Amino acid sequence: MDDMLKVENLSIAFRTDEGLIAPVQGVSFSVQKGKTLGLVGESGSGKSISTKALMRLLPGTAILGEDTKMTYRAKNGEIIDIEKLAPNSRKTRHLRGGEIGMIFQEPMASFSPVYTVGNQMMEAIRLHRDMNKKEAREFAIEMLDKVGISNPAQRIDQYAHEMSGGMRQRAMIALTLSAGPQLLIADEPTTALDVTIQAQVLELMSDLQRDLGMGMIFITHDLGVIAQIADEVAVMYLGTIVERGPTRDIIRDPKHPYTQGLLEAIPKLDSLTHRLSPVPGDIPSPHARPTGCPFHTRCTRKIEGVCDVKAPTEVDLGEGHAVACFLHADEGRHVA
Amino acid sequence: MLRFTLERLVGMVVTMALVSVMVFLIMELPPGDYADRYAFRKYSGTGVNVTEADIQAIRVDLGLDKPLVFRYFDWIGGIVLHGDFGQAFAFETSVLKVIGDKIWLTLGILFSTLIVTYMVSIPIGIYAAVRRASVADYGLTVFSYLGLALPNFLLALILLYFANKWFGADIGGLFSADYKDAPWSFAKAWDLFKHLWLPAFVLAWSAVAYQLQTVRATMSDEINKLAVTAARARGVPETKLLIKYPARLAINPVVSTIGFDVNRIFSELPIVAVVLGLTELGELLLRAYLDLDMYVAGAILLLLTFMIVFMNFISDLLLAWLDPRIKLGASS
Ligand SMILES: Nc1ncnc2c1ncn2[C@@H]1O[C@H](COP(=O)(O)OP(=O)(O)O)[C@@H](O)[C@H]1O
Ligand SMILES: [Mg+2]
Repeated sequence: MDDMLKVENLSIAFRTDEGLIAPVQGVSFSVQKGKTLGLVGESGSGKSISTKALMRLLPGTAILGEDTKMTYRAKNGEIIDIEKLAPNSRKTRHLRGGEIGMIFQEPMASFSPVYTVGNQMMEAIRLHRDMNKKEAREFAIEMLDKVGISNPAQRIDQYAHEMSGGMRQRAMIALTLSAGPQLLIADEPTTALDVTIQAQVLELMSDLQRDLGMGMIFITHDLGVIAQIADEVAVMYLGTIVERGPTRDIIRDPKHPYTQGLLEAIPKLDSLTHRLSPVPGDIPSPHARPTGCPFHTRCTRKIEGVCDVKAPTEVDLGEGHAVACFLHADEGRHVA
Repeated sequence: MLRFTLERLVGMVVTMALVSVMVFLIMELPPGDYADRYAFRKYSGTGVNVTEADIQAIRVDLGLDKPLVFRYFDWIGGIVLHGDFGQAFAFETSVLKVIGDKIWLTLGILFSTLIVTYMVSIPIGIYAAVRRASVADYGLTVFSYLGLALPNFLLALILLYFANKWFGADIGGLFSADYKDAPWSFAKAWDLFKHLWLPAFVLAWSAVAYQLQTVRATMSDEINKLAVTAARARGVPETKLLIKYPARLAINPVVSTIGFDVNRIFSELPIVAVVLGLTELGELLLRAYLDLDMYVAGAILLLLTFMIVFMNFISDLLLAWLDPRIKLGASS
């Protein structure tokens, strides 16, 4: 098997003032070397915290489920059980950045405003690569050049707020990749950018991925972006994966009513007049999770007495395509 | 940074020039001048009849007859060019001789208070923010409220009592009897240090309570910034991370109020000094002012305001160094 990362039964709970909430429940997925997994879902579905768990970046109030297993194969072949790492151990620090890198939605806020881009790059380089100051600086300039920043030798001494939005995100990519990660987590990296720049950054990311042979988890709420970059897709809703499969299959033949709704929400080029139709209804609050299938409160094809009672299990549709929906399970078909 | 420093330096000089004019005008404010007072002192009860001409003679003698503007430039010129603060009439010696030691002691108290304030409030405020909602955090919050509620002269009395009871030390004053009039030596400096901690502690007390809450609040904000998570996601070790990223910004409000703290210390010092039996400038200022001993009063006022303006300058430089955005905003 070629899995560099295998997540099984990931569950995350938070202690809050209003009691325990469980925004991620039994999520499983894997990432292959050189491939991209797209994580899609509306905001609040648990995409960010699921990936933060992989780097042990959740706050102290978070509790990982007992059955959670996160297995990662490091660059040197060592198998790491991420869930067993101590949060601030050497091993965890090596994993953060050196093995798994993360890019966030807000390039401006991702940089510290009081250090130059170069300062932060050299810090990361020296933490994860055996280089002295001078070598680190040269390497940082090289990386800035690689992500398409002109005049890298001057830009390196600038602050993030002296750069444009697109350039900032390029610099963030350079910063993250300069530590040499083998797996890149990109948490809505293009959401804050305007459309033309978004396309450029997406292209840059897939080029770099190909060159460096990295695995990638690409988070977005936009299935249109996923179509351009992901090999496989997992659709999340309220902390569970409701559908997964190869990107083509998911885009061409979505099985879950939620996935179908998300696809309809993408503005089509051939019908610009057509109004955007987001999935109707509100996302339930994590404090009041519906019983049964989490999506049944918004589903137009809900089966009364089934979907609101029992949680659906995943049904294998072949070739890696799977869906958690009673419409495709035996129980559902009997009733329908 | 050089340009920014020069800009602020010019600003400081201009401010000081204006302040010196104000100080001089304040010196002129009380009715009468030292010539009247001198004549009254010297001849009252002696039966000698002092005429207006006699007083005028004294006035000429002391140089007080010249016009205001002339006297101002005479005064400020002496200070700037020769470090000469003029004559202390009542003491019949130079101002410098009268205030000399007291300046150093006042500055000693000022800086020990500032050091105690920041050395205590900054690390503890950061700690409380990092351990937010822990027992230690709640404990510190309670301490802060106590600190703000307790007047510091009361604290001075309490400490004085315990210092006497436990150490038997004559902690009042700045020197032990042995060293009071001794020439400066290492032993005398050490003796001073042993006495300084108490006034520094008393004066720092409420500032610590206040600044601790400030640091805790800003640090709690900064800790949750994305840049901190991003740095953590790059594997930066936690202690280094906290100091380099959030703490550097969290101390901004403390640094920007250094001048304010200096001002507050100068205003609280006289009361604390009376309780602890210290000889500092505030008391002398009041006496000189009542005596119309204007050059003494002027020198003290000028030095105290200069310290405040100077510390504001330092605070500006520190701020610009902590947060380069300030510098960029100022020169563009
Ligand atoms: N620190 C936290 N404390 C409590 N609940 C949290 C915390 N972080 C996230 N959550 C909960 O987890 C849910 C999922 O968050 P997130 O992973 O950020 O969603 P997404 O990235 O899919 O938009 C949120 O709706 C919120 O209720
Ligand atoms: Mg998110």
